[in-house]
Parts: sequence; C-alpha cells; structure tokens
Amino acid sequence: MASVRSNKNIELMTYSEVSDVSGYVGNFKVQIKQKPRYVDISKCTGCGTCQEKCPIKADNEFDAGLGKRKAIYTPFPQAVPNVPVIDTTHCTFFLKSKCRACEKFCEAGAINYEQKEEIVEIEVGNIVVTTGFDSFEPSVIKQFGYGVYDNVVTGIQFERMSNASGPTDGKIVLKDGTAPKSVAILHCIGSRDENYHKYCSRVCCMYSLKFAHLLKEKIHGVTVYQLYIDMRCAGSGYEEFYERLQEEGVNFIRGKAGEITNLAESPEEQGKLMVIVEDTLIRRKLRLPVDMVVLSCALEPRADSERVARVFSLSRKADGFFLEKHPKLDPIATMTDGVFIAGCCQSPKDIPDTVAQASAAAARVLSMISKGSVEIESATAVVDEEHCAGCKVCIDLCSYKAITFDEEKKVSHINEALCKGCGTCVAACPSSAILGKHFTAEQIMSEIEGVLA
Amino acid sequence: MSFEPKIVGILCNWCSYAGADLAGTSRKKYAPNMRVVRVMCSGRVDPTFVLKAFQKGADGVLVCG
Ligand SMILES: Cc1cc2nc3c(=O)[nH]c(=O)nc-3n(C[C@H](O)[C@H](O)[C@H](O)COP(=O)(O)OP(=O)(O)OC[C@H]3O[C@@H](n4cnc5c(N)ncnc54)[C@H](O)[C@@H]3O)c2cc1C
Repeated sequence: MASVRSNKNIELMTYSEVSDVSGYVGNFKVQIKQKPRYVDISKCTGCGTCQEKCPIKADNEFDAGLGKRKAIYTPFPQAVPNVPVIDTTHCTFFLKSKCRACEKFCEAGAINYEQKEEIVEIEVGNIVVTTGFDSFEPSVIKQFGYGVYDNVVTGIQFERMSNASGPTDGKIVLKDGTAPKSVAILHCIGSRDENYHKYCSRVCCMYSLKFAHLLKEKIHGVTVYQLYIDMRCAGSGYEEFYERLQEEGVNFIRGKAGEITNLAESPEEQGKLMVIVEDTLIRRKLRLPVDMVVLSCALEPRADSERVARVFSLSRKADGFFLEKHPKLDPIATMTDGVFIAGCCQSPKDIPDTVAQASAAAARVLSMISKGSVEIESATAVVDEEHCAGCKVCIDLCSYKAITFDEEKKVSHINEALCKGCGTCVAACPSSAILGKHFTAEQIMSEIEGVLA
Repeated sequence: MSFEPKIVGILCNWCSYAGADLAGTSRKKYAPNMRVVRVMCSGRVDPTFVLKAFQKGADGVLVCG
C-alpha cells in the first residue's frame, strides 16, 4: 500500500466511495464521495499524539472487537496514509461540543472539525472492482454460542490475535489472558450448509490448517482438533501442508459439530467448552472438552453488494457474488465493457488466486490503454435515416441510453459504443427503419424456417 | 407413436441461451423437441417471428428472456 501511495502514476483515494458511474468504456465519469476525516492530510505528521490524548475508547472494528481504539484513530498501525480519522459517533466534541483534546495537543494544527463530505468527479477509461467479501456472522447459529461463551472466536479474531501488531501482541490467549491448552477448529461455519450458504468458501480448510500450525508453534503441548466435513486442499503445496499438520500431531475428526456447551457432565469437563460431534469415520458421538473454539466462518458477498452492483452495472450470481462475463473463458471481465472484477467480490478465493485475477485485470486494462481504441461488438443497431419517421419510440426503450435524437435531421441516432445490440429498438420501430446487424429480420426468419425444416 | 411436439425456442443471448449453453457444458440433458434460435434480447422478438414459426409447422413457440 505504501508503494502504491508513493507511485506518481497512482492516485490513492482512501476513506472514499464511488457513488455514481456514467458513460461507457474509455469515457466513464465516476463520482467519488470523500468522507470527512476531520484531520487535514496535508498537515498531519502521523505522530499519534492525538490518539494518546483522546479520552474516549471504542471497540476496534479492525481487531473484530478484541481490542480498543480511541475516538480519533488509525484502524491499524500499517494503515496508509498514516493519518487518523475522527469517529463522530463516539467523539465527545461531536456529541456534546466539548473536549477538543486532539485539537489542543496537535502541534501541526491538523485537526479540522469543519471538514465536509466532498464529491469529486474523475474521468477514467476502465474500472476494476475489488470490493472483497464479508465474514459470515456466526451468532445466528445459536447452538455454537458465539457471543455467549467468551472463548468461542471467529477466524478473523484468531487472525488478529496471532498478528504481532494485533490486540494481544501476537499471543493466542483466552479471555482471562492465559494460553489455551486445547483448541477445536470448526470448519464450514455457514458454508456448505443448506440453512446459510450452500457453496464451499474454499479458503477455510487451508486457513484452519494454518491456525493449527500457528497454535502448535506458539503454545507448547497444545492439543488441537480440526472438525471437518471434507478436507479440500487443492492447490500447489496444499496437500503437502495437510500431511505436515498430521505429522505435527493435529487431531482430525470428520464430522460437523452439532453443539458447543459449557454444561459439564463429569469433573474433567468442569470449566471447559464441550464440542459435541459425531466422528463419522468411527461412527461415534464425541464430547471434546476444550478451552477455545475457533469458528472458520464462510466468506459471503458484502452486505452492500447489491448497491455496488447497481453503481457499476454489474450482475450478481445466485449466491450474490458478482457475475463474470464467462466462467471459463472470461472470468475477469463483466457484461459491462471496461468494468473488470477481481478477488473475493467474484467468488471466495485465497490470496494467490486473488493476485492472479487482479494481475490479469491490470493486464486487460493496460492492453486497452496501449491500443488506444476499443473493439466494439459488431452486432449493433443502425438507423436508416431515409426511413426513420422521427417518432422517438426507440429512445425510451433503449436500456443503454444509446439512442439520441438528431434535432436537425429529425431522426434517431445510435451511439455504437453504447449499443449492446439487443435489438429491442429494431423490433419496436414502427417504420422498420432500424437494422439489427447480424440479427436482421430476414436472418432470424430464415433461421426459424431452418430449425423447422 | 406418442406425440412429439416441435417447439421453437427464441432465447435471449444473456440468460436463457446462456442457460441452454450451460446445460450443455454441464452435460445436462433436455428434450430435443425444442429447437433454439438465439437473439441478443427477447426484446428483439417481433410478433411476426412467432407467426412464421407456426406457419412453418411449429406446435409451440417459447420466448425466453
Ligand atoms: C480468517 C481468514 C483467514 C485467511 N487466511 C488466508 C491465508 O492465510 N492465505 C490466503 O491466501 N488467504 C487467506 N484468506 C483469504 C483472503 O482473506 C482473501 O483471499 C483476500 O482477502 C481477498 O482479497 P480481496 O482484495 O478480494 O478482498 P478483501 O481483502 O476483502 O479487500 C476488499 C477491500 O475493499 C474495500 N471495499 C469494499 N467495498 C468498498 C467500496 N464500496 N468502496 C471502497 N472500498 C471498498 C474493503 O474495505 C477492503 O479493504 C483468509 C480469509 C479469512 C476470512
């Protein structure tokens, strides 16, 4: 991110969101909403004094609620740019017009409570959408007790704990600060489940193995269980990693947990979380007493993906992820020329696959730019100006806003760069004055005769 | 001999034709009675196409889009 920011050919706009896109490939107009940070980027030195002095604490979203942050904060230490933002829902100044501690202590004079939201408009030729995924919220599966039992955590929370600059400085700990002696990692939470998402989230088997490996590395003698439906370790070096974990002494149990409870049935179970599961390989019901449970949650479409799809004229698949132009032959392009997709917004995938897809998208854009012109579909519609009566019926029918009215000649005109060749205007024209190239009435009629011959 | 209707399916390139194509690549079978004519959008369908199909002996016409 830091090198992206320092590259003079890239303008990085953080804390910003695209609110509207108009135009077409090569000529998009994009409106970007820049949210107010209440800190002047050009003045802030990133010294961090404001964050030290701010008296208000709130849950840190980036740490998935495990750590705290101030009301003026940077989400994580490596954030680019290293400039904080004021969270107006917690800041005392915005709530009660009092405090101003950050402003008082900022030597650079960078605090500006008056900043307003700004809309910037830019012109671009191509767009790559890489909006990623949301993590499935597991508290809806009541029997797992997420949010009820302290030591039932999500994969994201485990990630933050194991991060050296995270809320626990890289230590895997229970709520009371001690290291767990036994941990169960539950696969397919919200994935491959008729009640939530039917699809496989594809990355959880591998990150669950990574978690087991980190546990074995960080906590001497820890017992680790993996509860899986099927192990899916397809990828270069992935099966080998699975074998290595088996050698490291991780217990693999084929079965999906039915319940997590703290109700002890024997003295050994006191103070533990019991994971109840049927081991389907030995056909026996097990009660596993553990200190911590990690829920490997599904990757799901972002909550705002419907709105984002509308802004960029994207279609979505039945599971809600963005639809590619062709699942095999064009997994990067979309139905909208000049708009590409990469990463988990298209489907759950790991970092190597995301990087591959993003590189492909960049290459596609570069090839468009270096050519300097775009190839458009040959199957477009053209108006025969001799026959056009100027009734304008076609204009309102066109979903792509490709038809305009030439006031001088009093005829309709079709912009071939915008026309998708759907032929609606061709069928609707009362004077038969529009020709649908490659789908003329004669061609379709002959085809109908042909299929019935 | 049972009745085997001849049905002309006029399918939209983006949805129903793509669906028929997907059925093919997924090795799913569908009845051969439907004979497919692809258009770029069901909006392209002119009522005369349907009449033409009946005139040439179709028992049914399916417009999908
Ligand atoms: C617990 C867990 C562990 C994992 N471990 C591994 C691992 O060890 N190895 C591995 O290869 N993969 C791992 N993965 C998978 C990895 O996280 C994904 O492959 C990767 O994050 C996908 O990158 P992305 O850029 O598509 O999406 P994201 O990482 O989700 O990034 C999308 C970004 O877009 C931003 N955004 C979203 N909407 C908008 C908008 N409208 N405007 C502006 N910005 C927006 C988001 O804030 C976010 O920063 C793991 C996943 C999980 C859940």
